[in-house]
This record gives sequence, structure tokens and C-alpha cells, in this order.
Amino acid sequence: MFQIPCPHCGLRNVAEFRHAGEQRRRPDPQTATPEEWRTYLYTQANDAGWTRETWYHRFGCRRFVGVQRHTVTNEVRPADTGPAPSVASPPAGIDAGAPDAGGGAM
Amino acid sequence: MKVPTSARRSAPPPEQICRLPVQPGELIERGQPLSFTWNGRAHTGYEGDTIASALAGSGVRIFSRSFKYHRPRGILTASGLDPGCTMQVGDEPNVRAAARRLADGMDVRPQNVWPSLRYDVGSANQLVGRFLTAGFYYKTFMKPQRLWPAYERILGGFAPGGRIPRTAEADYYDQRYAHPDVVVAGAGPAGLGAALAAAQAGARVILVEEEYELGGCLRWGDAAELALLDELRAAVDASPDIEVLVDSVVAGRYDDNWISILQRGLARVAERLIKARAKALVVAPGLIERPYVFAGNDLPGVMLGTAVRRLINLYAVRPGARAVVLSANPEGDAAVADLRRAGVEIAAVLDARRGEDVRRAVGGSGVKAVEVADGRRIECDLLVTSIGWTAPTSLLNMAGARPWYDPAAARFRPGDDLPEGVLAAGGLVGDGTVEELVAHGRAVGAAAAATAGFGAGRPPPALDVRTHPALFRASTHGMVDFTEDVSSQDILAAAAEGYDSSELVKRYTTATMGPTQGKLETVNTVAVLAEATGRRIDELGTTVWRPPYAPISLGALAGRTHEPVRHSPMQSWHEAHGAAPLIAGAWIRPDHYGDAQAEARHVREQVGIIDVTPLGKLDLRGPDVPKLLNLVYVNKWSKLEIGSVRYGVMCAEDGVVMDDGVTGRLGPERYLMSTTSSGAAAVWEHLEGWLQTEHPDWAVHIAPLTTYYASINVAGPHSRELLARITEGVDLSPDAFPYMRVRTGRIAGVDECLMWRIGFTGELSYELHVPASYGVHVWQALLERGADLGTAAFGVEAQRILRLEKGHLIVAQDTDGLTKPYEAGLGTLVKLDKDDLVGRPELVWQQQLGEQQRLVALQPEDGSIVPAEASQIVRGTAIVGRITSSRFSPTLDRSVCLGTVEVALAEPGSVVTVLLPDARRIRATVMPELAHVDPEGRRLRV
Amino acid sequence: MPSRQASARYSAFGLLRRGLTHRDWPRVWREHDLAPAYDAVIIGAGVHGLATAYYLAAKHGFTNVAVLDKAYVGGGGSGRNTAIIRSNYLTPDGVRFYDRSVKLYESLAAELNFNVMFSQRGHLTLAHNDGSLRTMRWRAEVNKLEGVDSEVIGPKEIKRLVPFMDVSPEARYPIMGALYHPPGGTIRHDAVNWGYARAADALGVQIHQNTEVIGIDVRAGQVRGVQTNRGPVSAPVVLNCTAGWASLVSAMAGVALPISTHPLQAAVTEPVKMFLRTVVVSGSLHVYVSQTDRGELVFGASTDAYPSYSMRGSLEFTEELAGHVLALMPSIAKLRLLRQWAGLCDMTPDFSPIMGITPVEGFLLDVGWGTYGFKAGPVAGETMAELIATGKTPQLIAAFDLARFAEGRLVGEKGAAAVGH
Repeated sequence: MFQIPCPHCGLRNVAEFRHAGEQRRRPDPQTATPEEWRTYLYTQANDAGWTRETWYHRFGCRRFVGVQRHTVTNEVRPADTGPAPSVASPPAGIDAGAPDAGGGAM
Repeated sequence: MKVPTSARRSAPPPEQICRLPVQPGELIERGQPLSFTWNGRAHTGYEGDTIASALAGSGVRIFSRSFKYHRPRGILTASGLDPGCTMQVGDEPNVRAAARRLADGMDVRPQNVWPSLRYDVGSANQLVGRFLTAGFYYKTFMKPQRLWPAYERILGGFAPGGRIPRTAEADYYDQRYAHPDVVVAGAGPAGLGAALAAAQAGARVILVEEEYELGGCLRWGDAAELALLDELRAAVDASPDIEVLVDSVVAGRYDDNWISILQRGLARVAERLIKARAKALVVAPGLIERPYVFAGNDLPGVMLGTAVRRLINLYAVRPGARAVVLSANPEGDAAVADLRRAGVEIAAVLDARRGEDVRRAVGGSGVKAVEVADGRRIECDLLVTSIGWTAPTSLLNMAGARPWYDPAAARFRPGDDLPEGVLAAGGLVGDGTVEELVAHGRAVGAAAAATAGFGAGRPPPALDVRTHPALFRASTHGMVDFTEDVSSQDILAAAAEGYDSSELVKRYTTATMGPTQGKLETVNTVAVLAEATGRRIDELGTTVWRPPYAPISLGALAGRTHEPVRHSPMQSWHEAHGAAPLIAGAWIRPDHYGDAQAEARHVREQVGIIDVTPLGKLDLRGPDVPKLLNLVYVNKWSKLEIGSVRYGVMCAEDGVVMDDGVTGRLGPERYLMSTTSSGAAAVWEHLEGWLQTEHPDWAVHIAPLTTYYASINVAGPHSRELLARITEGVDLSPDAFPYMRVRTGRIAGVDECLMWRIGFTGELSYELHVPASYGVHVWQALLERGADLGTAAFGVEAQRILRLEKGHLIVAQDTDGLTKPYEAGLGTLVKLDKDDLVGRPELVWQQQLGEQQRLVALQPEDGSIVPAEASQIVRGTAIVGRITSSRFSPTLDRSVCLGTVEVALAEPGSVVTVLLPDARRIRATVMPELAHVDPEGRRLRV
Repeated sequence: MPSRQASARYSAFGLLRRGLTHRDWPRVWREHDLAPAYDAVIIGAGVHGLATAYYLAAKHGFTNVAVLDKAYVGGGGSGRNTAIIRSNYLTPDGVRFYDRSVKLYESLAAELNFNVMFSQRGHLTLAHNDGSLRTMRWRAEVNKLEGVDSEVIGPKEIKRLVPFMDVSPEARYPIMGALYHPPGGTIRHDAVNWGYARAADALGVQIHQNTEVIGIDVRAGQVRGVQTNRGPVSAPVVLNCTAGWASLVSAMAGVALPISTHPLQAAVTEPVKMFLRTVVVSGSLHVYVSQTDRGELVFGASTDAYPSYSMRGSLEFTEELAGHVLALMPSIAKLRLLRQWAGLCDMTPDFSPIMGITPVEGFLLDVGWGTYGFKAGPVAGETMAELIATGKTPQLIAAFDLARFAEGRLVGEKGAAAVGH
């Protein structure tokens, strides 16, 4: 249960929030081509690393809150903490490949 | 857990033949004998005993049979990890009998035996053991395929473990949230020191100990150590800032120090799950003694040094008569001293530090002799090994830290890659005298308090790590995983086949997959694998332990049910009048009051009232509400007059229908929006999302009013007359209050009631929204004042019949996850000549391309047949549509349906084939309008 | 076929003979140096990659193939899933596709000479409200039309199949009925992975563990090969068979995917004597459960609500899971949870996979499996092998192309997919 720093309510459990997606720009609905519009609808960066995203504080102030989150470690910091570096390659050192005494499913 | 009377009448219980005279640190209360049954036979023990110590005290040596080979097993570790001491206690399976306190009247039974512990049929598997090597089942039973289910049943019959009852009285489990500054996991010398130092710095501490008493290894120590324990325990007792939880365990460490603690030993509460957000976690579990791998290492009578020390010192149990001890460390030497003091004859002490070793233990149902590496054979009934340690780094792993193998210490050690707020203390980190361990704990506790904002702790001093001989396997092969019956030979064979990484060998042999989750077995597994592959232990890598640290009951995890139920204010009336409940998400609603068909007919002929409180209701205020409505609804809203209501359909950005409802304008800048019951929360979030992220400049404020109002729909030809009797201040005449208008007035003496003239049922009807606290009052007033008009309540089922007769769709029933408005017969509502509209581009493209499916009304040729909803509409075997809604219409005395069909079949008069679930095929005709009843809408416009 | 195969054939007789002689079995797959070039490189040694390699070799004689994995065989989603097999999907496309997979699974043990322990013990999807009962009926009707055994059954029959189930109307979420799918069941996932790996190896396919792809070479719109931590490899065909990393691997080839990666958690209890023969799923309660031959209950749930690459698992998952399992089977409260873990699921907007060609010639996809990947392993392997060998997209996977998103042709499986195990 990681925590999200809500600018209105302080540090709160993630269970109080709904993930509202990566921050992205909505194309002009009058002029968007199908490709542009559907890229907006369906395609995410889905980075393994720091991402900028929006959460809705559903069980709190009911504000949409921008944060930066590291999608591998789930570390969260406020949206205005410097530029979030993008990691567009498979992350090294994630435990998928590590020997593991308990990861097996029957 | 009552003792069967037959057992009480049977022979007197065996005497405590293996009990020693009083020991200085013993936990048992000799004045408090307890009786229990073991395997149906009466036994006794003492208050303070574990189940296993009580049995051992009366001379029991075989405690269970192993999983695969049904080998007899006794005490190995005398702790919660003991693989041979898992038992059925009453209706509770898999009880750790070497850790569970004995209670009076317990019904204790062995698991995994048939017909008895002593003569077990499954033990024949031992004879064929060489053919049942690890993974043997992958290599056989492939053919013939049809026999596999039979083989599978036989394999399944060998499933280990106890039995769970089919019915059980619900125990009480609860949960608690805690916000301590510091959680200390483990109350041995280091954990006690840490808790004391953290509390002294001003931190609030929760100290958690898995066993029943504080002290860890101090409990079985010498007089000085017992005195130290007394002193520490007194200090802890005196500290108001330390909350002590014994018989409890830190089960998991999750992100941001979210810590789960399982608390046991509570009165009237079976177990409690504590969820603690701690500023710092101190992990101080000590070390786990590691078994040695050699032939016969699982015979009853082979025990670890710590096991005999526990038995002698804590429970005054003599573990054997004549012992051989293999010692590689001071703990083993102390075990020798304890055994001597307990009067056990020491047949030989083999000092592994001088290269002495065992070869095998010999015996059938227990140790009879030990063969030593030098060729001697020594008669004995007890073989004690103290050959090394495992550092239980589990909680540190969960925090992301990686243990590393230290060949000099012959154990994995915690890495220094711990996140802030997680600290390790004591034996887990290094070696030392008990005084040094306490001092280390104190330093770590002070550092933990500093992390939590108390005092200025310094980095704790490093503990020495002593060299230790690397002993994993003797010259013979034996068990590596006792609960899974995996031997060192199995691991060698698996490695030779190519399952040669830690992960693959684990998966293939199932070593470390059993109830101890590798705490006893992991390091030996890796060591034997290293031997097999010619690699070093550190090359094979560390091991990652998954949560939980200790098994945790489903009951404790579940706690009490926290899933709320929502009722309207009129629920008590519904219940008193025989309403059948309908579960609709969180809401419980009246489905019907006995006869839905009659209720529907009544609405068409007279007047009915239905409780529609769950309808979502949102108060929208501000000058920019029309902009918002234009954006989220497909139709236009700019010109909605005060006092008018309008139907609207909402789409998501992909053009798919997400909700519908009516919105009315109550004042210049005041609107009330209704949503579907299930969509209420999602629509609110949807609106807030658009306002907050795309249009923060729009002045709109939204407040949810769903349960502020009780909502009642009054429907039927007499509804106007009924309302006229109880309404004040509103002219109900058709000209003054026509269809699709909203008025505010006084109903049954209640001010500020809203009245919408709308008609989901297709009848003249009014939806009343009255302050919730007056819901029952207005409901009863309607029934009383309208008695002579035939006013009666109707439920959701009658409403569904009525709306289907009228051809009104239900979003998510008559639409699905891909339905756009054009396909739902809502295309005429869509107005694309607006600046913006959620999902606009998709709607434009769909309008250009045309739809492939369309929602239509269908009439079965045989009106007595009601095709089940979701019946498929077919052409041959191809699916061309489906029935989305169907009911028998009391108004028309025939079945009525809505369905989606391919556009080519959607023309009125088309005849389609409906395949019923019972495989009959019937014909149905596409109707010209969605409405079966009153397509012109005359009834609701009167 | 190499001669070693004859002596290495698995059988009861072989077990007996080796038991007597104490001779080890030959390696299940061999180790190789990485060659500079292959006819095809498959990224990911999970069930999809291995099955593709096996069918390429076995059906199309295409053996100069390397399967690369950054870790070990079957260590990703293929070794972390709850191994439930079924074909009772909602759309005809989905039903046909997964039915082919079930058929392949049924004969897989014999075909691979490796017992994959496919246990067709029946699969129940519970309905707790009339909406989900309607969806169950919908699935049953589509299934029957496609020749798949599915039927809606009532509480009495459910109680007969699962005696521990609380089917009383007083339950917080009363059970109104269920979709019963007799051919559904469970399988030993590791055995499937190893069986495919062993059979592919025997046919000449090279499996390279601990070989991580760190780049994909694309020139002039055509894939040329991959860069690995063990050096470069050239190949005219590169197939992305990864799960969890599908969008990151595709990004190396410049192909953006409509994928969001979510953890899917699972857990297992201590073993108890067999009491649950059927696989039980409740979509409303976000839980599915089955009991293994070893006596453990294996639980799964829906994916975590937010995307993440973290596989650490959460406490709230186990709390909700336990609460809902006890709502279904109240008497098992004393059963203890032994271990929880997580895998990564690549979720697509329509809960259906992305299979086939991409704008980069020769760079192929078999990704976006969400929570359904293991069920589809054999049929995905068979169809992707056919695509690689013939250059033509098989009809069975035509609906799953990447272009459907840009063209607005989503697959209608989403309705039934909230928790579809």
C-alpha cells in the first residue's frame, strides 16, 4: 500500500485514489485524424520508470491530482519535482529473472 | 475441541516418562495439568507445554508421516518450523504442534496417515522410492490419455495436510490500524534492546514476538542469560511506549512500510490482523538453525541442537536416553552441556570443526545407531546436529533488499541495500555474545527512532561475523526438504537433467515450496545444487522470499465484512410488505411484492408507486452548466428552459454509450441530473474529470444528491388524480404541467419536493424526489390517500416489464461494451454540430460508415414463448444478433423482446430465427418501433 | 531426429529401468553458443515463444530458430499464472480460438511425451446478479453454437459440484447460477513450458537462457536482427513473445503498442485434503480458486487497478481475496495463506491479444494477452508458426491484428472479461 502525496490532503494511501491514466493531450476533436484520435484513446507510453500521471482522490478531496510515479518501485513524488526522466528501454534489475524461493504457481 | 467420551473412558493416559526435574527456565506449570487426546487416546501435559512437548514428555516419538514416502517423522526443530509436527487439532488443519500451546480438551490427530501412525499403508511408497524420484509424474501417465484422470485421483489422494470442515461456526476475526513510530519484529536479545532504545528516544514502539514469551534464545540460556532476560523484560514491562504482542508475527512488509502483523492469543477473537504504517521497521528474527543432509536425517530422534535445548530448558523434556552430537558451533557445545545436565548419556561428540562427521543414522521408526565418518557405529536413540545457520532475511527481501552469500560465515547475509526506514538487528546481521547482541539492538533501535524523528541516532556498529565451517551435506544422501520429501539425490538428478538454476530446481523438485517456504531448506537446496553443477553458492544467486513471512489464516486476512449495503428510506416498508430482495450492486431493492405481472398490469390500469431512490442524482450549479451538458451528452442543451427536463445519452471518448438519464433545469443556474443507479458514481467522476482537467475555467459546481432525496415514481392513468390530492402549490393540469417538465412544490406537507413528469414505464407518471427523511411519510401518504384509486406498490421487475413494453432501453443490458448510439436506436439524438462533444470523432466516423448492428423490437411468432435473454439470433449456425431483453407482457398478453440484429435484418417486418437455450428454433418478427405498447406516446402525454 | 531421443523417451518403463540402474536422464534441453544468424529469433522463452518454436520445427520443418530469454525457461507469466484452461469465451472468434487451444492441450502430453497434467475437472463461473447471469447465458449460447460444452446451471447443481459452497439466498452476494464448462480445468504450467522446450530442443531449436535482447535492428522498414547481452544476432524474422515487457520490447523496433502493464496477483494456501474438484470463478467477487493435486488452494484475482511493473504484491490483495473466498466457502477460514506473488499482464483496450504483422516487415507480435496468455499458448504457437512459415495470417487470428485499434475494429470480448479466469 504505497502512498500518494495529495496537494490538498497530504500523504494518503493509494486505496483512496483511482488511477486516471498517464498525462496526455487530447487532440482537437474537430480536426483529429482517426490515427491521432485512436492513439490518444488507446496508446500509452507504458514506461518502466518515472511517469507523469493523474490520480483521482475518490475517497478524499475528489480532486484530480498530478504526480510522478516510478512504475517499477511505485515511488511517488509531487508533479512539480523536476523533470521526470523517461526510461524507454526494458528496465534492468527487475526481479523477473532472479532466482526466487517463492514465485512459483502450481 | 471436546474430548470424545470414549477416549475419556479408555485406559489411563501414559505417564510423563520423559519429564525432567524442574529446570530453571521452564515454562510449564506443573501444578496445572491439562488433558487432551492424541490419535484418540487420552494424554496429559502441563499448562505452558506445546502440543509437541507434551507428547514428547510422555514418550511419543513419531508425530507424523511424510508427504510422499510416508516416512515416520518426529521432532526436528521443536519450533514453529518443525516439518514433522504438523497436526490436525479439532477442525483446524496443519497446526504447528511444536509452536501451539496445549489447551485442555484438545483433540489432536496426526495427518497423512492411514490407517495409523505406526502401520501406514502409504509407507510402501518407500520401497519404490527409487522410481518415484522428483518429477517422476512428468515422465509417465501420458498414455493412454483417458487413464490420466484416474491416475490423477490417486496422486491427489496423496495430497498432504489436514482436513477442513464443510461447515464451521464462524469465528470472530478482526482488524486494527496502527500508526506506530517503530515496529520491532522479534523479541530476542537484539529485538528487546531495539525496542527499549527506540522507546527511550521517545518513539512509540510495537514489539512483536512469534512465540509466547519474550527473550528468544535467552530463554534457554544459562543463569546469567536468564538474569539478563529478567532485566530486559522488566524494562520492557515498565515502558509505557512499548506495546508488546506475543504469539504474534510480522507477516509482511509492503510498500512504504505498510506492515501486516498477525496477532493471536486474544480473548474471544480468533486472530487479529494489524495493519501498521510504521515510520521504521526493525527486523530482528535471529537465526534459524539449519538441518544437515545425510542418510537417515529425517528419522525420529534426529534433532537440531536448538531443538534439544528448547525441550530440556523450556519444557523439561528429556529428548532421548543416549545421544550422539555433531557440533560445529558453540550452540552445539551448549546442547551437549544441556544433555549432560538432563542425564542423557553422551555416547559421542563429533566436532565438525575438527573434521569429524556423521555418515548416516540407522533405524526404522527411530534412530537406533549412528555411523560415523571414521567407520564407527554408535548405538543411540538421539542424534543432535548443530552445523550452521540460515539468516531469515524474508522481511528485508520484501523491502527490496538482496541477501548475499558469505562463504566464511557459511550463510546468506542481509545486503546493505535496505530502503530508508527498514533496519536489521542482532543475529540476522552478525555474531556476538548476548550482551553484544543487546547492544547492537539498542543502537539499531536508536537509529530507527531517529528515522522516525526521535533523537539523533548514529549508524549502528557492525557486528562481527565469525567464521563457520561450511557444512551442508555429509558423504551420504538425505532429505533436503522434509515436508516435500525431496532428497539431495533428487536435486542432483534434476540438475543433471538441466533443471540447474535455483529457480528451475525448485520448480521441478518442489523443494522449498512446502509449508516452511524454504526457511529450513533453501540454503541446503542451493548448496546441493552448487555441488551438482560445480558452481559456487554465490554464483547461483540469492533467494527471494515472498510474503507472508509466516502462514496467515484466511479468516484473519478477511477480517469482518466491510462491504456496505445500501437501502432506501422505505426499506422497512418494503420488508414489512413482503418484498423479494433484488441485489443491484450495493443496493438492495424490492424486486416484487409477490406477483410482478399483476403489479405491471395494475400500473397500466390504475396507479402504482415504485421506490427509485437508487437513481443517481447530481445537483449542477453555475453559469457554465449548459456547456458541460453539451459536452457530455450527445444532444443539445443550450436552450433548455427553466422547468423543463430532457433525456440525454452520454458516451465515452471512444463513442461507446456509457450512461443515460434525464436532466432538468430548476433555475437560471441550477440543474438536476439523473443517472442510472449503477452509473451514479462513475458519471460524477466523469463530469469532475472534464471540469477539472480540460475545462477548469468553467464555473460549475457538482454535488451528489442521490441519497439526499428519496425518489418515488408514481405511474398509471390515475397518477395525476392521486398527486392532486396531496400536492400543494403546483398546478398539475396537463397544460400547466405537461410531459417533460419539472416543478417544485409541497407534497403531503413536505416542502421543496421535486416532481418530474417523465415516463420510463410509458404511462402518465411523475417522479417525486422528496427529502430522504420524509420518504416513508410521502410513500405512505400516497398509499393511504390513493387507496380508493387502487394505489399499490410495484417493484423493479414490474418496472422492467413496463419499460420493455414501451421499448425503453437499459444501458449495459440492451447495449454492451462496444455499442455506439447509432446501434442503440439513439442516433437521432446525436447532434454533431456542436463545438465539442465527448467521443465526437468516433460518432462522426460511425455516422459516416453506418452501423453494423441495430437495436430493434422483436415479436416471437408464438407469443407464448419468452426467449431467454441472451438467446442468440442465428442464420444457420452463424450468429446474427441476440435477444437483449425479454418478458411476457401482461398488457399485450404475449411475449415482447428487444434485441440487436445485423442491419440487413433490422428492417420492420424482417423475420429472424431465435435459437433458444433448449435448442428449439423459433421465428420472430422485427417490429416497426422499439415500443410494443403505445408507440405514439399518447398514454404518457395525457 | 537425434538418436538420443529414443533412449530419452519418458515412460513408466523408463522410470523403472533408470530407477534400477541409477542412470540420469539426458538434459531436458541443451546449451548452445549463440550463432551469428538464425532464420527466426523468438524473444521470450515462455509458453508462447516455446510453442511457436516447437510448431515451427514440428509442422513446418523450420528449425534454425533461436528462442531468447533474459532469464530462464518459463520464468515470466508462464510460470506465474494460475494455470486455468477454458474456452467458454463470449465472442465466436474468441471461442473458436481458445477451443483450438483446449484441443491442443488435450493431446499435448502424448504429443510432447511429457505429462502436462491437464486436469479437465470442470470450470464454474458464478453469477451473483441477473446481469451476470445474462452474460453467462450469452456465453453458454455462443459456446454451444461453436460446439463448446457450456451450460448455465442453478444453485442446487452448483452445491452438488462444490459441497463447500454457500448457495444460500442469505449470502451477501447470493449465487443465482453459474456457467458450467466441463472441459475447463487446470494444468501444470511448468510442465507445459518444459515439455515444449524439450520437444523443440529435440527438433533442433536453440533455447538460450540468460540472453537478454537489448536492441532490435531495423533498416529500411525491415527487421534485420537483435542485439543481446551476448552479442548481435541477425534474423529476417523477429517475434516478440514477451509478456510484461511487450511494449518496451516493441519500442526497440519503433512499434508503439496500445498496452498498459498491470500486475496480476495470485496466492496459494497450505495443503489440505482434497475438497474442491472444480475450478470456481466469481467475476463479481474478483476471485478464482482451484485446488491442486498437492492439496493447495490456488487463488487469483483481477489485475491491480493501476499499471505497474512492480511484482512485490500487496496486502490489500490478500485481504480482499480472503474476504471473498470466505463469502463463497465460509468454513475454510482456518486455512492459511502460504505465499503470494505477482506477474505482469499486458492489458489491451479490448481485452484481446495483438497477433501478427506490424509496420516493420519481419517484426511480428504475439503480445497483449492480458490475463489469458497461458490458456492460449498452444494455439498462439501454432498460428504464429504458420504465419512465420507461410507469410500468411491464419484466419483464426485475423481479428487480433494490431491495425484494428487505428481502424476502430475492437474485439467484443471486453464484456465478459472483468475477471475471466
